[in-house]
Amino acid sequence: MDLSTILLVALAGSIAAPFVVARAGALGGPLAAALPAALFAWFFGQIGPVGAGPIVDVVPWVPSLGIDLTFRLDGFSLLFALLITGIGTLVVLYAASYMSAKPPFARAQFLFYILMFMTAMLATVTADNLVALFVFWEMTSLLSFLLVGFQSEDAKARKAALQSLLVTAGGGLALLAGIILIGVEAGTFSLAAITANPAPVLDSPLFPAIVACVLIGAFTKSAQFPFHFWLPNAMKAPTPASAYLHSATMVKLGVYLLARLDPVFAGAPWVGATLVFFGGLTMLIAAVQALRAIELKAVLAYSTVASLGTLVMLIGLDGPVSSVAVVGFILAHALYKATLFFCAGIVIHATHETRLRALGGLAGLLPLTAAATVLASFSMAGLPPFIGFISKEYLFEASLEASLNTVAVAVGVIVNAVMVAIAGVLALRPFFGRARKPFTVEHGERLGMTSGPLLLAVVGVTFGLVPSLVAYSLVEPAAIAIYGAHIEVSFSLWHGFTPMLALSALVVLLGSLLAWFWDPIHLFMRRRRALDEVFLDRGYDLVLGRTLALGRWSTKVLQNGDLRVYAAVVSATVTGLLAYGLLSSGGLALPALGGEPLRPSLLVVCALIAAGCLVAAAVPSLVSAIVAVGLSGYGLALVFLLNGGPDLALTQFSVETLFVVIVMAVLLKMPIVARSSRTPGERWLDGGLSAAFAACILLATLWIAAKPFNPELTEYFAITSVPEGFGRNVVNVILVDFRALDTFGEIAVVAFAALGAWALLRTGGPRRRAGENATKGA
Amino acid sequence: MPSLILTAVVRIFFVIMLLGSLWVLLRGHNEPGGGFIGGLVGAAGFSVLALALGVEAARRALVLHPVVLMGAGLGIAFLSGVPGIVTDASFLTHQWGELAGLKLGTTIAFDVGVYMVVVGGVLSFMFRLYAEDAA
Repeated sequence: MDLSTILLVALAGSIAAPFVVARAGALGGPLAAALPAALFAWFFGQIGPVGAGPIVDVVPWVPSLGIDLTFRLDGFSLLFALLITGIGTLVVLYAASYMSAKPPFARAQFLFYILMFMTAMLATVTADNLVALFVFWEMTSLLSFLLVGFQSEDAKARKAALQSLLVTAGGGLALLAGIILIGVEAGTFSLAAITANPAPVLDSPLFPAIVACVLIGAFTKSAQFPFHFWLPNAMKAPTPASAYLHSATMVKLGVYLLARLDPVFAGAPWVGATLVFFGGLTMLIAAVQALRAIELKAVLAYSTVASLGTLVMLIGLDGPVSSVAVVGFILAHALYKATLFFCAGIVIHATHETRLRALGGLAGLLPLTAAATVLASFSMAGLPPFIGFISKEYLFEASLEASLNTVAVAVGVIVNAVMVAIAGVLALRPFFGRARKPFTVEHGERLGMTSGPLLLAVVGVTFGLVPSLVAYSLVEPAAIAIYGAHIEVSFSLWHGFTPMLALSALVVLLGSLLAWFWDPIHLFMRRRRALDEVFLDRGYDLVLGRTLALGRWSTKVLQNGDLRVYAAVVSATVTGLLAYGLLSSGGLALPALGGEPLRPSLLVVCALIAAGCLVAAAVPSLVSAIVAVGLSGYGLALVFLLNGGPDLALTQFSVETLFVVIVMAVLLKMPIVARSSRTPGERWLDGGLSAAFAACILLATLWIAAKPFNPELTEYFAITSVPEGFGRNVVNVILVDFRALDTFGEIAVVAFAALGAWALLRTGGPRRRAGENATKGA
Repeated sequence: MPSLILTAVVRIFFVIMLLGSLWVLLRGHNEPGGGFIGGLVGAAGFSVLALALGVEAARRALVLHPVVLMGAGLGIAFLSGVPGIVTDASFLTHQWGELAGLKLGTTIAFDVGVYMVVVGGVLSFMFRLYAEDAA
């Protein structure tokens, strides 16, 4: 099967799944999990073929814009696809058990979002076209928004959802700008083509702008400083979603994109230095915040931010080892962090206690969860024989080999020591520590929830013990895919007595000390309130608050409910723009007069229009004014008719008639009051504005008429109308055939505008409801 | 108050305007006309009815709720483009065929959709404007 077919299967399955889940009861979870499991099996089967070379599948989408749905599966994409579908299977199983107490509709809805997210994510990591990648990228942001705000009755969840959407989708817009610039400079949107030939992008004067846009997009998605704040807040999502989106997969998209574009960015050393700077800063901030965090999931979230910072830093480092380190760390992190989230979810589900320090002594009640947590924590701490150890060895090797090694090593040691401490505290406190206050435990182990983390933890050990399982099948092709050239990968547990081993030992020693003195350190850090100002989302609140204040201010000034102010603002703006356009175009051009004979009929019609306008301006009665305006409109329609535009004339006649009928209907509702409350000064102002507006329109019309007319389109449509559109009325053929999509858009706009007006004109609705309340009260 | 003359002739007016609007709609591909103009004329016909005999009479004459009409029109216009995807791989590429000597295309469905959107759109808020109470 083709890649595109597989994605279609994923989409169809995701859409069908909620209906199955809602009806199948307890079987719903396993049935829904069959979809990601089958996809996992398919991707697993591609390991062999992908090792030989990437699989490419082209589906034309918008050929006229050069946008193809090209899907490309190379080693790096395959690694992500396996993580997405593999962890996705476990997430679906886990979620079915986690949400078993919820109503069927909520369960089905949740699984629908999760599976849709999985589909979008698969499409993002296999898309070769950058525009398609962007579309799928934003889809993941949207689904993340829905999942973070899943408990929509919680105001905090809603706020966090909006925040994550504004940050990630906003960053996505920056990314779109970057992608368009890349496309303009490279002449193609294909990732493979751009990375194969980075010179046009690299040498472009726009390169700094491209880098800035792409980095903003990647940093918002992967929660890098200064956008790191949204990820801990996104922990309001149900735990299965946190494990899936906000640790194992979606937040790595930024890293994914940076790694993909690394062959381009590597050409400019300052980009790497920038990545090292922001990655390192994010790591340090996240480490501090992880020590200060109170809630279990918040600690995990900050450790995820630190890990993402590590990945960004690794991408910024030069040398082939860093590619291997990136791949190894993505794999190791996905395995242990998803496990830890799963386990944290089990603990929270069983105890309804979210604070880390309040938990203790759960090992007896949740023995399997405790075992999985301990295994995953060891991997996170980078102890042998876990895969986390191997990936950390690579991290240090990449840091030591890079040109920026002092910074990278120093930050790496500090932050990894904190990770060791966190791992120790997470594994020991809730399960083996002593609880300060007794709390209720609602349930023990549940197979549906425990099996996933246990499996992942065991996989983590297995890969650590037998690294050859993944070294050549997954890690090597993935590293080659992002490095762009062949690398010898020696992904093994024991490298001998190397500097990396010494650093690892140092990290473990420091981390153990931190873990031992966790309580005093945690409390000391918590009391540093000033850090909240810098590290939390105060900046976001400030920007959002100012934006809303600006909106309120402009509404108050420009849209204060007085129709005359609206009209004045609109006409003043149009006048200003027209005047600017006329002045900047350099002098006036007047059409050559006298080419056409002066037709008396046209003069009569023009006199009619002018009379209508004058009457409308002069009469005191509104009804008379409306009729006079209608007269001008009919005159205009006659002008169209006399100049060979019967369609336009017909439309104008109908519109004028309807206009009079509609305005009459409005006037009938109006109370009969004096027409004007304008002071003489205001009248002068209105008159002046009208005159200026009219003058600009006149000059612009003359200017347009003076331009030589290009008859190419007219002739094209006149010639092709009958043979290609089978119609003699060119206007209609253009509307319904040549430009049918435009017309479709227009009628959609008409429909929505009418719907809006229809809703706004609902009279008596609130009044009637008030009346009902009154009768009830009586 | 509606005048006697208006009340008396309005039904005839209405029928003429409605038939006229359909005629304008159907001739549109070869002669001046089309869905948009036809829709405007049709909407004017219903408005006249509402003006003379009240909104309820016009609503009964329309049978469908204007918003439903509008949505259905949008749907028909959309569906008229679907055959193009199947045969030509391009949305809204119209297909033509002959039925009993009459050339017919999916364009007519598209234009009917436009007509329905315009009639429904105008009348949806027109009826509310004319209504004495909430509608």
